[in-house]
Amino acid sequence: MLGLFGTLNSAASSLAAQQEAMAVAGQNMANVNNPAYAREQAVVQNNMPIDTPAGEEGTGVGVVSITEVRDSLLDSQIQSENSVTGSYTAQQTALQNAEACLGEQLTNSGNSAASTGGLAEMLSNLFNSFSSMTTGTGDPATVVQAAQEVANQFNQVSASLSQARGNLNTSIQNDVASSNQDLSQIAALNQQMIVVQAAGGTANNLVDEREQTIENLAGMVNISTSAQPNGSVNITIGGVPMVTGGNAVDSLQTCDAGGGQLLIQDENSAAPLAVTGGSIGGNIAARDGALAGLQTSLDTLASQLITQVNNIYTAGCDSSGGTGQDFFTGTGASDIGVNSALVSDPSQFQASSAPGAGGNTQIALSLANLATQNIAALGGQTLTQSYAQTVSNLGAAIDTATGQLNTSQSIGATLANQRSSESGVSIDEEMTNLMQFQKAYEASAQLVATLNAMMETVIDMDNPIST
Amino acid sequence: MRISTSLFANSFLSQMNQLQSQQMQLQNQATTGLKVSLPEDDPATMDQALNLQTQAAANTQYQSNITQLQNTATTAATAMNSLQTVIEQAGEIATDAGGVNSSTQLATYATQVGNLIQEALQAANTQDTQGNYIFGGTINNQPPFVATTDSNGNVTAVTYQGNTDESQTPIGAGQTVSAQVPGANTTGSGPSGLLADSRSGANLFSDLISLQQDLTSGNTTAIASTDSPNLTTDENHMVSSIAENGVLQSTLESASTTATQLGTSITTQTSNLTSADLATTLTKLDQTQTAYQAALQSGEMIMNLSILNFLQ
Repeated sequence: MLGLFGTLNSAASSLAAQQEAMAVAGQNMANVNNPAYAREQAVVQNNMPIDTPAGEEGTGVGVVSITEVRDSLLDSQIQSENSVTGSYTAQQTALQNAEACLGEQLTNSGNSAASTGGLAEMLSNLFNSFSSMTTGTGDPATVVQAAQEVANQFNQVSASLSQARGNLNTSIQNDVASSNQDLSQIAALNQQMIVVQAAGGTANNLVDEREQTIENLAGMVNISTSAQPNGSVNITIGGVPMVTGGNAVDSLQTCDAGGGQLLIQDENSAAPLAVTGGSIGGNIAARDGALAGLQTSLDTLASQLITQVNNIYTAGCDSSGGTGQDFFTGTGASDIGVNSALVSDPSQFQASSAPGAGGNTQIALSLANLATQNIAALGGQTLTQSYAQTVSNLGAAIDTATGQLNTSQSIGATLANQRSSESGVSIDEEMTNLMQFQKAYEASAQLVATLNAMMETVIDMDNPIST
Repeated sequence: MRISTSLFANSFLSQMNQLQSQQMQLQNQATTGLKVSLPEDDPATMDQALNLQTQAAANTQYQSNITQLQNTATTAATAMNSLQTVIEQAGEIATDAGGVNSSTQLATYATQVGNLIQEALQAANTQDTQGNYIFGGTINNQPPFVATTDSNGNVTAVTYQGNTDESQTPIGAGQTVSAQVPGANTTGSGPSGLLADSRSGANLFSDLISLQQDLTSGNTTAIASTDSPNLTTDENHMVSSIAENGVLQSTLESASTTATQLGTSITTQTSNLTSADLATTLTKLDQTQTAYQAALQSGEMIMNLSILNFLQ
């Protein structure tokens, strides 16, 4: 039999247990807006009962553990989806920057929607200026100006795209540095977890912090995790172990593959890592995919413009019989320019197909006809059609990335909602629990008061009741 | 499903974001009047719009070219009419001279023909507003016809120093014309020469000089048998040149009409592709705003309600 003191202990244990449970509820409520927090539950259990002739008698209650409500499957799904979202976000941003570099945007100018200030308008102006020269009353200065605008636009877009590429590389480097920081942090947290678990405890806040760091890392690079029995989580990237137990065994490095291409390798073996997810993966995909394709298309377009125009032009004669000059200089989008001799003296424009015939504008006509000529190197399209297709291709790439990003974000939101439903704190629930614990505390306190009174009665037993 | 406190708030925030971004897009469409503005909005439409833009600009250039050619053709027509008058007057003199014996009268006629030659030279060496000679073929920086005169100031020969080339100018898709007329063409092929052409036998200056010389020498037989018929040939040739000019002007006129119609058609096509229907856009905007308002109101009601409102 427990006896009065035994029961008192039992009541005291209840008071302590309710207090602890209230503390846990308080902790939950304090962290209601902490997105990394998983709600904790105080697991309350019977203390060891004692055997009595009448049967087992309970000796009170105690909080045996404070557990987290967390679904590790959801956690790993969220990690994967973070990588996907990170990748498409990076791609969409990079490609939208490229779209801004091209500068083709429709506005309602005049009586019709048109894209002004871009290469489409400038190429059109150039060929129309050639056409105006065929009337014999055209001004070669207009032609030279139109040609300079085309060349400048090519140079500018090419430079902007190179800069965008450089920015992506910087972004990748920053992300690699952040990733390495995260890896070190995960290793440190693993070490602490191992120590705590070995001592027989649980460290819920460490788990939360580690999970948040892993998710942050996953947003930058695609990772694989595997939980170990000693409480740590091992991280591998592309099959190469990065964090094993409490040690960051490897880290990420960038390596210059030449041609402005920055790739990822791991530090120990210096072997290239294929990064396919996260913002690093997304930036690499955008840089080497759509952006590189765009740069190539522009270079091909510029190169064809230079070649085709010069082929026709060099055979022409100007008004003083001069011939053989090139119209465009350069080889690609970054260095295309107009022959400086022509710029300083536009009257040297070689419009004629025969010397000494100022009214002969045959070369100008051939140049004007270049606008509607199908060029084999551009897939049988005209220069303008090829450019319009390049713009359209970029738009399609952005459209695709946006669509995939929306899908990924939608999935991410669903998973986050599921996790929130599972592990999130509900104020209503905690308040209700709090009331329960409060009532239990009051009841136990009442029990203590009653036992106190009973014990006083026992102690007063040697005092007879006065009559 | 268990609802945590942050679940509702996050869900509410993301719905707000969606509605706001829809609103922004529709508002943008309503303001610009365009449903496609960036390549990412509709890549295929952007492709078509850029190509249509180029077509429209080329069409405008055709119209500009046509105007320039019309100016040249009009200037040429004026000169040709002057030359027509010269030929008619020379023809009359040639006819009248047949019945005249007085050498003084013939001398007067000869002087008149001399003046006619100068008039013809002036007309044949017409320049356009930029100072280019229009009847020299593609050689337009020097007078096409040069006269050699004798000691008396009479023209003894007129040489053509232009060529028989002509430059083509685009006036429509795949369509070019030339407004140039070479002053003379003795090669037997190519465009018709204005004043001299070996195919028709016309040779105005040579015939006028011959007439003047025959008048001076009093050779009325030659005037009647050679000069008069030659001048008739010249007149017929000039009439056909004027007719050709008329055809050119009418071609230019019809090309101009076509270009105008094409311009309108391109504008319509572009508008169909890219314009936002204002009525639809505003209706959708209204609906989105209503949804936004409803979401805000209901969100406020739900977020304000929790167990804490009821605990004392």
